[in-house]
Amino acid sequence: MGSIEKQRSIIDFTLASLLRRKGKNAAFLAVYTLVVFSLASVMFFSQALRKEAVALLADAPELVVQRMVAGRHDLIPLSYVEKIRDIRGVRAVRGRLWGYYYDSLSGANYTLLVPEGFTWGAGNIAVGQGVARSSMAVKGDVMPFRTYDGRLARLRVAGVLPSSTELVSSDLILLSAEDFRILFGVPRRVATDLSVEVANPAEISTIARKIAMMLPDTRPIAREEILRTYDAVFNWRSGILLLILSGALLAFIIFAWDKAAGLSSEERKEIGILKAIGWDTGDVLAMKLWEGASVSLTAFLAGVILAYLHVFTTSAILFEPVLKGWSVLYPKFRLTPYIDLAQLAALFFLTVVPYAVATIIPAWRAATVDPDAVMRG
Amino acid sequence: MSLRKSTVFLSLLALGLASVAAIMAQSALSGRGAAPDIIEKRGMVKRLALTDLVLFTDARYTRHPAMSDLHAPFQDHPLSLEHFPSGSLMAPPPNVRAYGKH
Amino acid sequence: MIELLNVHKTFNQGKPNEHVAIRDVTLAIASRRITVLKGPSGSGKTTLLSILGGMARPTAGRILLFGREITSLPERFLTEIRRGTFGFIFQHFNLVMGISVLENVMLPAYPRGESHLLLRQRALALLKMFGLAARSAAPVEGLSGGEMQRVAIARALINDPQVIIADEPTAHLDTGLSAEFMEQMARLREEGKTIIMASHDPLVCEAAIVNRVVEMRDGRLSAAGVLP
Repeated sequence: MGSIEKQRSIIDFTLASLLRRKGKNAAFLAVYTLVVFSLASVMFFSQALRKEAVALLADAPELVVQRMVAGRHDLIPLSYVEKIRDIRGVRAVRGRLWGYYYDSLSGANYTLLVPEGFTWGAGNIAVGQGVARSSMAVKGDVMPFRTYDGRLARLRVAGVLPSSTELVSSDLILLSAEDFRILFGVPRRVATDLSVEVANPAEISTIARKIAMMLPDTRPIAREEILRTYDAVFNWRSGILLLILSGALLAFIIFAWDKAAGLSSEERKEIGILKAIGWDTGDVLAMKLWEGASVSLTAFLAGVILAYLHVFTTSAILFEPVLKGWSVLYPKFRLTPYIDLAQLAALFFLTVVPYAVATIIPAWRAATVDPDAVMRG
Repeated sequence: MSLRKSTVFLSLLALGLASVAAIMAQSALSGRGAAPDIIEKRGMVKRLALTDLVLFTDARYTRHPAMSDLHAPFQDHPLSLEHFPSGSLMAPPPNVRAYGKH
Repeated sequence: MIELLNVHKTFNQGKPNEHVAIRDVTLAIASRRITVLKGPSGSGKTTLLSILGGMARPTAGRILLFGREITSLPERFLTEIRRGTFGFIFQHFNLVMGISVLENVMLPAYPRGESHLLLRQRALALLKMFGLAARSAAPVEGLSGGEMQRVAIARALINDPQVIIADEPTAHLDTGLSAEFMEQMARLREEGKTIIMASHDPLVCEAAIVNRVVEMRDGRLSAAGVLP
């Protein structure tokens, strides 16, 4: 009981001491919190997106077969469909029609896709929410398109895809196969790529190999690779943004060390007084350590909680300009919160531990001030 | 003011830790696949045979990183440097990096 | 009772600015008495006070506190003993700025880890005794010289020490406050405390209540003596 009470008393004094230079310490705390907030936001956002991507794309096509010409993705002949279908284990093969359309009016890039079983009929399209926003089209409107041979095609918006699916559908324009071919001039005997349905998921890699051997100009992409792409792409360690933040973090740690290392004569005298009235070196050291701990723990918790709110309730609104980049279209979505111990531990070791290391020697030096000097006035 | 400073501080600290613990618990228990909006999106992915999320619509290889080939990032010139802002957040997809290995 | 036996104190030993503050001092301080160390500045009386109060260690010689040798005790134990046995009143009061009067008085007791409530009550009782109860929450910067002096004394008393050590206590006080201070010391002696003061103020040295004056010059006792 005695030592808890002792630590609490020391904390009382430490806090009173910090409150003395309210403005300076508040500013320091604010900067520290900001550093934690930035790092935590990046980490939470990319980790949550990573998990969400892997969850959402669990039902992506088992195999996608692309044709490569001179290292480039080229259109694939539909005659390949028969050959692939004959491979044992393949349940179905379908030619996929999809491509990009740049709308010069809005400056947005749309993804045009012909789904299996397009129910709205020729001349109609279904658009994602992002398309509706950037083209300002509503259900019933007619959207103009420039075809590959310079003509104008008019397609009617028969439906808008639900806003809850924006993360996967925001820039989509669904249309019929005939309209697709009219727009892009893609002949009937080819498709953009092929999607292959495999009965047994364990056989996907075998079948992929067989396809690659049988059709050497193709590149099969397995669902596993799709998932791996997203798993790796949002690994937070990669990215220039993090490099910049690491620089900021390092600068902050150096600043913290510098601040702690400079023992002013005022502070020296005060520690002398404390020792003269009965505090020993251990008590003064405890006080200095509590000083560091109170600031860093407060900054850490505040930064983490604010980052959580930032990423999961405002969908990382501060990152939007960076994420949007040069694109005109950006989806509106709410990420499912995902925070685990590993992320928090990493954040703790990045933000609190270096601060502790940087301030521990100055703290010890402060604690060993001689009380004798105080007696001399 | 009869409330000790250490009481206030330690209470706030406890509150903060409890909040963080609650956040972690919620993440662990929410069961990623079960949420209705995830199910809805997954359904759409299956129906439309989608392969990528709509995030970066500035370029082909940023919109469809899972489908991108070696040529897409270097479409302007073999030595063209990264010029899309989204590149600062997103690393090149592994299927592009591992050339020759499919 | 505090005994010093052949105590020497040298600062910066071996360096070019070596300074011998105390030379071969043998002294016994009687309990429940007011002892004054008298001498000009540079005579070593402040250093002697530090050593008597366990704040500094002698370079040579021995110190006995109530018969127990404390010369080479480790810092932690020495501080613990000092905390409970001595109360210091400094020349410039040396109160901690930026915190309240009450917090200043409670400060020496923090490392003891006693119940905060009890400590607070004791501190308030002391302040009441000195007529400062109303100013307990005030920051110390706003106090007058006399008020600061009383807070300094209250602080020295918080751990109920047996010995009070005061270094030039009247240096920044007028005649009225100086007399008040000496009266306070007399009262404390009646309560059973031992008082040791260093001063060259005649008001202190020639006060009637003083039991013994020890004169110092150049680090030596000029009118030394063992127990009278």
